[in-house]
Amino acid sequence: MKSKLLLIAVSLMALQATAQQKHTISGTIKSKAKGETLIGATVRISGGGGTTTNEYGFYSITLADGKHKLEYTSMGLQATTLEFTLRKDTTINISLEDESVSLGAVTITGTSTKRSLSAPQMGLEKLTAKEMKNVPVLLGERDAIKVIQLLPGIKSAGDGNAGMFVRGGAADQNLILLDEAPVYNASHLLGFFSTFNSDAIKDIAVYKGGMPAQYGGRLSSVLDIKMNDGNNQDFGVSGGIGLISAKLNVEGPIQKDKSSFLISGRRTYADMFLRLSNDSSLNNNTLYFYDINAKMNYELGKKDKLYLSGYFGKDKLGVGDLFGLKWGNTTGTLRWNHIFNNKLFSNTSLIYSNYDYTVSINSGSVSADIYSKIRDYNLKEELQWYPSSNHSVRFGFNTIYHTITPGQVTTSETSQINSRTLENRHSWENAIYASDSWKMSDRLSMTYGLRLSTFSVLGKGDFFNIDQNGKILDTLSYKKGEFVKTYVNLEPRLAISYKVNTTSSIKASYVRNAQNLHLISNSTTSSPTDKWVASTNIIKPEISDQYSIGFYKDLFGGDYELTVETYYKSLQNQIDYRDGANVNSVSNAIESELLFGKGRAYGIEWLFKKRVGKFNGWVSYTLSKTERKIDGINNNDWYNARQDRTHDIAIVAIYQLSKKWTLSANWIYYTGDAVTYPSGKYNIDGQTVYYYTGRNAYRMPDYHRLDLGATLQLKQRKRWSSELAFSLYNAYGRENAYTITFQDSKDDPNKTVAKQTALFKFIPSISYNFKF
Amino acid sequence: MRNSFIYTILGGALLLGTACEKEIDLNLNGNDNKYVIEGVLTDNKGGCSVKISRTKNFDGDNEFNGVAGASVKIWSGTDTTLLSETTAGVYTAPELSGVSGTTYGLLVTIDGEQITAMSRMPTKVPFTNLDVLDEDLFGDLTKIATVSFKDPAGEANYYRFRQYLNGRAIKSYWVRNDDLTNGNDITARLYIFGDANDDDENELKSGDEVTVDMMNIDADVYKYFYSLSNSATGESNSATPANPVSNIKGNAIGYFSAQTIETKTVIVP
Repeated sequence: MKSKLLLIAVSLMALQATAQQKHTISGTIKSKAKGETLIGATVRISGGGGTTTNEYGFYSITLADGKHKLEYTSMGLQATTLEFTLRKDTTINISLEDESVSLGAVTITGTSTKRSLSAPQMGLEKLTAKEMKNVPVLLGERDAIKVIQLLPGIKSAGDGNAGMFVRGGAADQNLILLDEAPVYNASHLLGFFSTFNSDAIKDIAVYKGGMPAQYGGRLSSVLDIKMNDGNNQDFGVSGGIGLISAKLNVEGPIQKDKSSFLISGRRTYADMFLRLSNDSSLNNNTLYFYDINAKMNYELGKKDKLYLSGYFGKDKLGVGDLFGLKWGNTTGTLRWNHIFNNKLFSNTSLIYSNYDYTVSINSGSVSADIYSKIRDYNLKEELQWYPSSNHSVRFGFNTIYHTITPGQVTTSETSQINSRTLENRHSWENAIYASDSWKMSDRLSMTYGLRLSTFSVLGKGDFFNIDQNGKILDTLSYKKGEFVKTYVNLEPRLAISYKVNTTSSIKASYVRNAQNLHLISNSTTSSPTDKWVASTNIIKPEISDQYSIGFYKDLFGGDYELTVETYYKSLQNQIDYRDGANVNSVSNAIESELLFGKGRAYGIEWLFKKRVGKFNGWVSYTLSKTERKIDGINNNDWYNARQDRTHDIAIVAIYQLSKKWTLSANWIYYTGDAVTYPSGKYNIDGQTVYYYTGRNAYRMPDYHRLDLGATLQLKQRKRWSSELAFSLYNAYGRENAYTITFQDSKDDPNKTVAKQTALFKFIPSISYNFKF
Repeated sequence: MRNSFIYTILGGALLLGTACEKEIDLNLNGNDNKYVIEGVLTDNKGGCSVKISRTKNFDGDNEFNGVAGASVKIWSGTDTTLLSETTAGVYTAPELSGVSGTTYGLLVTIDGEQITAMSRMPTKVPFTNLDVLDEDLFGDLTKIATVSFKDPAGEANYYRFRQYLNGRAIKSYWVRNDDLTNGNDITARLYIFGDANDDDENELKSGDEVTVDMMNIDADVYKYFYSLSNSATGESNSATPANPVSNIKGNAIGYFSAQTIETKTVIVP
């Protein structure tokens, strides 16, 4: 498949070959202050055309010989122009200066990356650490995912929650990559914070649709997070102290200009507050997390660069000695960038990813530890080829070996619980892909590609045949390394853009995704102990087909951007638990507790953004519908998925009041989640039991809140700067329902009442951040 | 156990912020007044009763409004017993008891509609002991009723417990299987969590009389009570709310259980 596509690309180029001599300019674009490579920096050619840097700051453009004016730009940095006569293949490495440094004062000309009208990519949202800085968040803990949730089509998983739903997809349908390593549980403290320390992050890209062929394995979105490389110019320390956490970031050169390192750590200390409490039901409890990001890069030569990056995070939660829950992710990525020549760039990655949790129960004679994990070894090779100024081609492969330990119960000798180990599940995931971005004319561009993915379920282990009611009919035993089942999926990717005029364009895309790792959750709130399960002979790959069309308009000279996108997504092989399933079952045949069906999601998203100026921000609005149809649930009729919210509005405003003060506010409104409430009640053995008539047929009360933030820049010296950040979450104290429960009234036991619990109301915070 | 960490989140939030509770009004409609059957046959005479009622509106009262005039039969093999209606909606057969290992059928006919269910009375596991023990629970020394028994190896056993404090039933369900405890000596604590825990009346104090019924139930009835306590008690559920998985066939909900029962009483030390 790969070679076929390449052939097409080659022949297309041959058609365009002209008599005029052409040569290639290539190189790397960096920031001058820190030496960080710049992702998505633009090279514009006077007289038309241009390119952007890849995820390692590399660019390549082929032009006719002669005189050219090149303009290098990147958000927040000073543009550099270069006049140049092209005669032979040339390497031009550019370092861009900080705007603020050069102007001697803080000016804001652009707070966010300009989206491209001509590139076919749609459904893409980009964020940099800078953009996240001023948006007020819960407890002052800057969090990339919470800012992303304010964009259209992306919904938070609940009040203060760092989980997200993209275009009607479930939480496990997001591919979350940290320096290419999949992160299987991206949340801390039961979901209130994400695992991404904003100090260590360079760039975030969220693909809601039209995913390029290099990404695969999840249905709904790709959240591609790149860590900072570390300052290769100067040694630097930054940090912050907030209400619930403290963090420290150290970076510096190993060899000036060539190599650098970065270590960033943070820890929460909410548990110390718990200890201060007089309430004995609280001060015995543990509740904290810490995480460490580390990265180093080393230049082997002009054409070779090595990157080593890692993440390690741990959460600990304990209720006295009675109950404990620990969980954490570990990822490691070793990458090798090699520039074969000025048109061919290669990246090879060796990736390790691990997520595990341990639940400990210790009550009298019952003591047990339940351990579960998912572990990946992953090899990726990607080549980026820039054959002409109208084409850029990517192709490569990816192979992953997954091991899942579904559950291991270990007990002490005196415990009444028997030890038991569920069989490890092994699987091997492979993909090859190729895609070409083709600039067909000044107005028309297209990215077309294909991803061929396979997923092989491997022995050793027992697999099952089950009947409609989940009863095991027979057991099939496989030996180590034996292939149980291989699924093959062909995933076409297509995106087209048409530039109507200089300020507006229309884009359309189609993408198919396949997903072979499934997070099985029965709970109304996500939990660290939700199970990751690989496809088996019974659990089929989930498949989604997404069609979308978008309209893009630049207004008032490009200071304002309007984006409207609409999508329709159909989902196959969706999974849910049977009613009454034993979620904590310690059995090899999890399939006997599952049901399968389909889903559909559609919606329209508006984003109106003011990108530049003292006053900037955006308004986003999503109108959407998400449904599931699973035999055995809701009388086999379509029902609202839990994440179905009709309206979702976010308004974000940031105002630079003076050199010292930046003010910000955001307001959020959404239709309450679809939930299952009782329609009646009855009595069983003297107790009230609730009667349900339809799955997710009711709504939580509508959700809305206002957050306020202010940042005070303290006195700046040459090498020292610091700031105070204030925020007030839920400023008008709206009591948003976190849960609604039903019970007999305490005042009149002959009546039943609905009771709502709201979590966060007027949460102020202050944090102090410094840098030297 | 899941509940306890939901409490920890709430506890954490309470401390960090201002978690607050209030009663709210929801418009809960669409109830079709389905029949509710609660059928029990025990290994003791006098333990057989079948209660028939209908689901009520959420805003309605909690009184038991029985459905009178039904024909209720319990059968096994060729023996059939017709139950007699003692009060409206309550049908009994005072002389009827069951035997472990025997499968019993329930046949209810109301307005020409037939409702059936089957249940097998399981092996009776002797209830060895009932104690009240102190345990450090969330930092408080709490008195907890504790049952002891020896789980028989070689078969799957399912248990249900009912706890009474000074003669009043505590509103909570306790069910367990022997999936991870097969063949062991078991001492199981009957923790009072959830709504029932908020109630000071449910706190065990010295001198109180605690009574526990230990029942052996079949797999389907276990599934019924397991799913009921997970998803239909209206509390902050660990599972998506749903009706319990019933062993009743026909246009009705509820359960029919042929079960063994043994009761012990102890005075809290």
